[in-house]
Amino acid sequence: MCAIAAPEIFGSDEIGNAKVLISGEVPAALQAKARRAESNCPERAISIIE
Amino acid sequence: MTDIRKPVSDLTTDYDIFDPEFVKNPYPSYRQIRESQCPIAHTDRYQGSWLPTRYEDVVAIAQEFETFTSRQILVMPPAEGRNEGPYADVAAPPITSDPPDHHWHRRLILPVFAPQAVAKYEQSTRDLCNGLIDEFIDKGRADAAADYAQHIPVRVIAAMLGVPLEMEPEFTEWVRGVLENMTDNELRMKSFKNIIDFFVGQVEDRKKNPRENDLLTELINAEVEGKKVPIEYVLGVSQLMLVAGIDTTWSAIGSCMWHLAQHPEHRRQLRENPDLWPTAVEELLRVYAPVTMARIVDRDVEFQGCPMKAGDRVLMAFPAANRDPRQFENPDEVVLDRENNRHVAFGSGIHRCAGSNLARLELRVSLQTWLARIPEFELVDPASVTWAGGQVHGPRSCMVKF
Repeated sequence: MCAIAAPEIFGSDEIGNAKVLISGEVPAALQAKARRAESNCPERAISIIE
Repeated sequence: MTDIRKPVSDLTTDYDIFDPEFVKNPYPSYRQIRESQCPIAHTDRYQGSWLPTRYEDVVAIAQEFETFTSRQILVMPPAEGRNEGPYADVAAPPITSDPPDHHWHRRLILPVFAPQAVAKYEQSTRDLCNGLIDEFIDKGRADAAADYAQHIPVRVIAAMLGVPLEMEPEFTEWVRGVLENMTDNELRMKSFKNIIDFFVGQVEDRKKNPRENDLLTELINAEVEGKKVPIEYVLGVSQLMLVAGIDTTWSAIGSCMWHLAQHPEHRRQLRENPDLWPTAVEELLRVYAPVTMARIVDRDVEFQGCPMKAGDRVLMAFPAANRDPRQFENPDEVVLDRENNRHVAFGSGIHRCAGSNLARLELRVSLQTWLARIPEFELVDPASVTWAGGQVHGPRSCMVKF
């Protein structure tokens, strides 16, 4: 789900588990997408640290 | 057959998931239970079960895999007298597995369903959808469920498993026998046996004639901790892909077709703004989540004030959770660009649907292809639409004209 909401930030490994593609701060242009990924994750696995 | 079911007296103590009205439209009943003093209903029907309807409760049960086990996952107790023949105990790993075996049971099939792995089925799915539409586009009417939705997932899964596509009618019949006619014990038993016998034959064939790039061959040769996986695993996981991959996705596609037939504004939005597709697919999955799964309580436990006993069956009504107003604003409304959508159409926790990426792809491609070829269509007669329900909810006949 996160890879759909924010494909620039989240992808998946070879078995389909989600993984984060970037490190450090989320670029300003992607912050809205990052929040969307957070609020749509059915497993509540994403948290954005501010 | 005469319907001898007794009328439901009180939904919170006597719900009947096979009641014809409930099968057709379960949402008013879910709402009534959810907003009652007793949002986790109970029934003595079909050997008894609990029915949580609030999002929070359904998710908690899905997450608590130690208390709520997957020894059985169907909404009905197993068909009696099933245990005959050498492969009678074949389960449906990983969906029927509990940890620790659950881990490798699931791990082995995950790569097949990873987003990048399922992407290669996009073009063939589109071609398949176009081929189906070719059959009826000149007639000006079609059964969106039986002429369209029904044929898509079965062919995709058959191709994935490398089994004969021309057996589509048999696969469909067997899967319906297992999942849709649960009150018919004999049919369930026979259908399950047909599926297992079929895969026993396929496994024997692959052992004699191994194939390249073939899922069954790879599963037969798979090793865990240096040992070949048991043949019961190969049979179980194969039958699960067939059963879980067909009825569920076909139901979701059918429900979406039924919805779009009645909502010209949504057809227009999707046509004019293709960027909507990702959120639209999630929203349609939320509103028309087809699947309800069950859990078996491991030990006596009090859950939200309900005295659940070891061995009790709990129905995780994902369709009810997905319309809980505590979690979703205007839950009965389809909002194609819904901002917050933590839906549980694919479940939650360690048993979360392994095939979700494939299901999403099939749903999106089937709807896109239809809308591109048949942008305007409507129900012939809303009253004549027929539905399956219980384990899997979706239309079985849905005539549309265009």
